[in-house]
Amino acid sequence: MLTALNKDLKPFEELITKFSKDELKPHVEEHDRYPFGTLDTNIIESGFHRIYDLGFLGIMLPEKYAGIGQGISAMCMMLGHVAEVDASYSLIIFTSGMSQQIILNADADGIAEKIYPIAKNAQEYLVAFPSFTDPGQAAALPQASSSGTGYTLTGKLDYLVLGNFSKWAVIPARTTDSKSYSFFLVDLNDKGVRKSNAIFSLGLHACPIIDITLNGVSAQIIGGEGKGEKYFEATSRIMHVAAAAINAGIMRGSLKEAIDYTKEREQGGKLVINWSEVRMLLANMAVKSKAAELCVTQTCKAIDEKLKDWGQISIASTLHVHDLACEVVTDGVQLLGGNGYMKDYGQEKRYRDARQVQALLGLVPLKKLALIKEIIA
Amino acid sequence: MLARSDVKSFISRFPSFEDETLSMYYAPRMPKAMIKETEELIALARKFNDEVARPLCLELDRKTHEDPDYFPVELVKKANEWGFYTLWIPKLFGGKGYNMPSISYFLEEIGSVCLGIANVIGVHYLGMTGLMMSCNARVTKKILHEVVEGEKRGEPCLLSFSITEPNAGTDVEEVELEAMGRLGCHAKKVKGGYIVNGSKIFISMGHLSKWTVLYAYTDLKRGADTKVSMMVKVGMKGFSFGRHENKMGQRICPASVLNFEDCFVPDEYVLTDPESLKSFTKHPSRDMNMRHIDYVFSISRAAVGAFGIGAARGAFNAALKYANESEIDGKPMVTYEWVQCRLAEMYANVRLGRLTYQEANYANQHRGPYNLLQMKPMYYYLKYMPLWFFNIILAPLLNRSIGTWLMSKWYLDWQKPEDQSLTTGLASMAKFCCTDLGVKNCQMALELMGKAGLRQENGAEKILRDAKLLQIYEGTNQLNRINLFKSIIAPAAPKATFFEE
Repeated sequence: MLTALNKDLKPFEELITKFSKDELKPHVEEHDRYPFGTLDTNIIESGFHRIYDLGFLGIMLPEKYAGIGQGISAMCMMLGHVAEVDASYSLIIFTSGMSQQIILNADADGIAEKIYPIAKNAQEYLVAFPSFTDPGQAAALPQASSSGTGYTLTGKLDYLVLGNFSKWAVIPARTTDSKSYSFFLVDLNDKGVRKSNAIFSLGLHACPIIDITLNGVSAQIIGGEGKGEKYFEATSRIMHVAAAAINAGIMRGSLKEAIDYTKEREQGGKLVINWSEVRMLLANMAVKSKAAELCVTQTCKAIDEKLKDWGQISIASTLHVHDLACEVVTDGVQLLGGNGYMKDYGQEKRYRDARQVQALLGLVPLKKLALIKEIIA
Repeated sequence: MLARSDVKSFISRFPSFEDETLSMYYAPRMPKAMIKETEELIALARKFNDEVARPLCLELDRKTHEDPDYFPVELVKKANEWGFYTLWIPKLFGGKGYNMPSISYFLEEIGSVCLGIANVIGVHYLGMTGLMMSCNARVTKKILHEVVEGEKRGEPCLLSFSITEPNAGTDVEEVELEAMGRLGCHAKKVKGGYIVNGSKIFISMGHLSKWTVLYAYTDLKRGADTKVSMMVKVGMKGFSFGRHENKMGQRICPASVLNFEDCFVPDEYVLTDPESLKSFTKHPSRDMNMRHIDYVFSISRAAVGAFGIGAARGAFNAALKYANESEIDGKPMVTYEWVQCRLAEMYANVRLGRLTYQEANYANQHRGPYNLLQMKPMYYYLKYMPLWFFNIILAPLLNRSIGTWLMSKWYLDWQKPEDQSLTTGLASMAKFCCTDLGVKNCQMALELMGKAGLRQENGAEKILRDAKLLQIYEGTNQLNRINLFKSIIAPAAPKATFFEE
């Protein structure tokens, strides 16, 4: 649907669809197996070079950092198509996008130049970020101390996405002099970084998530001290809809698999799809899936055109899409009966992944309260 | 005011007031000792949760991910040591004879900690129900005796229930669908027994059970009229295990594929077939098969409802723990009204769901398969009569054909169709309401907990994975909605037909 609004995206769409089908689809089940989060470096590297060459990883990066300078529509189109096949890879791209946007919103040219134009491989290019955390909601963050030439970080940070894969991480931490937090660039290979094993989480298993403990780790501040909240706000307003695009993609995948299955399976002497209650369930899934696509498309349009209250629209539509997604994937399993619950089919993975995506960028109820606070202010 | 006859006439109108308010009518008729027994079982379940289930459940879930072919053999032995596999076997058959409705509360309690472990215990009683509701007293006595002996020897003897087929899931749960479905498990009558060919899938605890209740059909095109139910034991020639299914949740309780290749089942293990049904009833075998399966599901669906409320409770507990331990803007999370309201709603879901499975239990007690054992005089008679009385006086009767005839007459032939409808309808209602509430509470817990809820070590994500299966097995929640309509609402919709659209 995004390509209907923006014809320029059509070539990207064809490329990403082909990439997802050829490179990701054959490995979905394998990458979902325990132990989770042991990212297949070969796949990532080969995929990385393919999608890097195609320009997808720098889709929202300006050309001066070797990106292709597209907007949120292109990002959402890409995330949705990847999520239709395996949302774990959407999380990798999403997390990389979060780091990029924090750096861009902080106007941290030096940091962007230090990473993106010279990255030789996926580890160097994909920057880890705690994508499930709104640092403003976090009970505890690492402590940053000024050390004359720079900063050192000490403390724990939980649920760092790509933490055991990437060379770099964008880490929120508190400085003693500031009420708010700041963002720092940290080299995760620093000897002061202690990493946990990959966390056993509900879904998105191909993308590793870990806890880290920092002990006097050198760090470079991103933008101004105490400006973290401002950069996160600016970033998350845009990236919320990117999370919605992932769930819209999951919903499309769920609907498609449910239709395909019910068209082949028989019950009571006729195709399952010909029973009216089955059709009603499919219809409900379709209504929600199509509505979600519209939410994503129109939100992207509102952001691109900087419509009034676009930030509120982004958060509200995203929360709505997440609700719809959790309902759709539940019915998606149901329509396949016992088979839907088995790992031989894709539905149980979507049931898990959609809930994991819903938790991106912080607690849902707090997002709702923040939204109404802004509206009534 | 009104004459008594008028009152009777008005309250009997659809919807029948008694049928709509079973707890009001039947709670006072419940033997008081049943409450004491149930309290004892809840205490036992809580002790088991503290000592076994809680320390083990996340570790075992992780183990099943590390090794998808892991079987919880030690857990089964532990449950056997705790005496869980004979608690609800009637004294008549050598068990401890606890009242059957109490199993719901017990399973809810265990399920509130781990649905997989609850099913490792509960599905054995699904097998027992399938066996007992066949009303074949001789085979029932023989096999339940083996279960009791297995407990004494420390060698668990579990029962499973095998009906789902690769191409027929929902179809085997309704005779109308069974008549049209693509059945695949064939039974051929030969001298001295049946030869069975076919497969069963998604059989909970299949690999770990000694005996399975098997449904097969002498004519696959006329399944509803030609069903044969029988007991098949591990080691019988032609019976083998297929794959161990790779499920999203409830991974502690394995689901198995069972294969039957020219498997000879001797007559002595045949529970029912079209000929044996004719020996005690004039009703068509299709009707008796439906009554049998309705009564099995009247019991098992109420129990799955209890699992659902176990899930709802588990999710509530996880969310409450998180809210108690977390802060927002420096204030305890539980001080916020929006948090209190969500937790209150989750708690209410638990209580509401429990009421629905209690109603199903009341129907089973007074109008369904428990109606003989739970009558006050019978209940106290069975409870306080010494064991020797059962062993010496009653048990020998079970080996005679009169035992099977009496059980078949009581439980199948003489039951009223309207009671059958009430029990099966309410069990279906309990099943889909409770399991939907279970999944709903899991969703609410995850939203409240954010990323903490996603971590396996915190339990909530496992409950979400486990709970989804409840909406599928023992009939999908869609089939159960249709069954509720067919069984209880249909009198108000005379033009309605079923499975014919």
